[in-house]
Amino acid sequence: MTGDVAPLFTLDQVTVRRGGTLLLDQVTCHFPAGACTALTGPSGAGKTTLLRLLNRLEEPDDGRVRLHGAPLASLDVLALRRRVALVAQTPVLLTGEILDELRAGRPDLDRDQAARLLEQVSLPAAMLTRSTAGLSGGEAQRLCLARALAARPQVLLLDEPTSALDAGSTRAVEQVAGSFLAVGGSVVLVSHDAAQTSRIAGHVLVLHSGQLTAGPARQIANHKEYP
Amino acid sequence: MNPAVPTWAGVATSLALVALAMAIARRQRLHLAREITIAAARAGAQLTAVGAILLLVFTHAGPAGAAGWLTLMVLIAGQVAARRARGLPRALPVATGAVAAGTAATVGTLLALGVISPQPRVVIPVGGMVVSGAMTAAAVTLTRLREEAAAGRPAIEARLSLGLPATQAFRPHLHAALRTALIPSIDSTKTVGLISLPGAMTGLILAGVSPLTAIRYQIVVMYMLVAAAALAALTAARLAERALFDDAHRLRPQDGTR
Repeated sequence: MTGDVAPLFTLDQVTVRRGGTLLLDQVTCHFPAGACTALTGPSGAGKTTLLRLLNRLEEPDDGRVRLHGAPLASLDVLALRRRVALVAQTPVLLTGEILDELRAGRPDLDRDQAARLLEQVSLPAAMLTRSTAGLSGGEAQRLCLARALAARPQVLLLDEPTSALDAGSTRAVEQVAGSFLAVGGSVVLVSHDAAQTSRIAGHVLVLHSGQLTAGPARQIANHKEYP
Repeated sequence: MNPAVPTWAGVATSLALVALAMAIARRQRLHLAREITIAAARAGAQLTAVGAILLLVFTHAGPAGAAGWLTLMVLIAGQVAARRARGLPRALPVATGAVAAGTAATVGTLLALGVISPQPRVVIPVGGMVVSGAMTAAAVTLTRLREEAAAGRPAIEARLSLGLPATQAFRPHLHAALRTALIPSIDSTKTVGLISLPGAMTGLILAGVSPLTAIRYQIVVMYMLVAAAALAALTAARLAERALFDDAHRLRPQDGTR
């Protein structure tokens, strides 16, 4: 943290339990605005749980999550989720046609806007009227990203967005993250891929068994041990 | 006495049929003879007890007794339907509420419009059919909703993540569950008389009532069963939806810890 920008998200002693399992154990950290923060660590460390706290798909059992200083619980949750868009690890398509898919969260989206969204994620605009059924995994993931961008979010939460994608799709997703940052957006990225985090993340948080093992100001170079 | 109704001696004679079933079970070494004995004894005892209680209610209890009897049936049916919905948050109040809503609205309408008489000898059997139909519809709805909420979690959460409210995020799953719950009762309404001669009509015919009178009753029964199933399924779905999501439009964890 440089200190001159108010933190985007602040977690204060956040604990999440599920059944008898401690998923996050008194995590305190912050995520800077206008930057990309990577969440890394071994499988089952609590990365996805932490990401889901940020758009309130999860609630902390203890502790507090704030957005620009305001407790998340005090904000309108539906507006929060349009502002803080989450793209899950496995693409889930909700409709039969690509245009409808882009309109899933924004019914008023017109065709031109929809076509531009497709171009943004390196999909041909001519696909707009095609069925979602025949899409490859990479195309589906890029469509999910475009669907999230349709609501013009300020923050993108990406949960291992490229873990199952080919090189071309991975590059496309990283480009979207890059241009999103360039226009002032913020990104939180869960990733196992050290090369990817070093390419796009300015900050790294390392989780291990639900606990934070490194602060946000440390640089990627210190965390080569998590491939 | 109606000559078509068997005497107690006739009932005793029909035990020969149970003996036949036991003989088959023994010959085939099915080890079911004991079970058949218990089943036959239970059927006899339970029905005799119910008959005696119904006689008491019909002669002494009046409309209040009928209402009490219906309430008891609704509570039992709620328990049965809730057992099917295990794993769903607040299954018992949800299932009981659904059966109660389906029963109250249907029986209430028939009474208010004067289609059926408020005597216990009418309200109890008619109510029993309604409770049973409502129970089946609620149980199927809740079972399907539980499956939909588990298997559909990624899609539901994808919709929630786009800022959609819980009702919209869950709508396709709710519709699927309602369709599954209502199709059997719609199908049996379509085919009634062709494939099956239903209970109320059969009973009236056995009791010596003209078939043309018996069908009037059965038509009312079929219509009220469709209504009861639809109301119970819809109430179950709405109540379950509220139990599945919290105030923050979040699909509760499956283990039901929070």
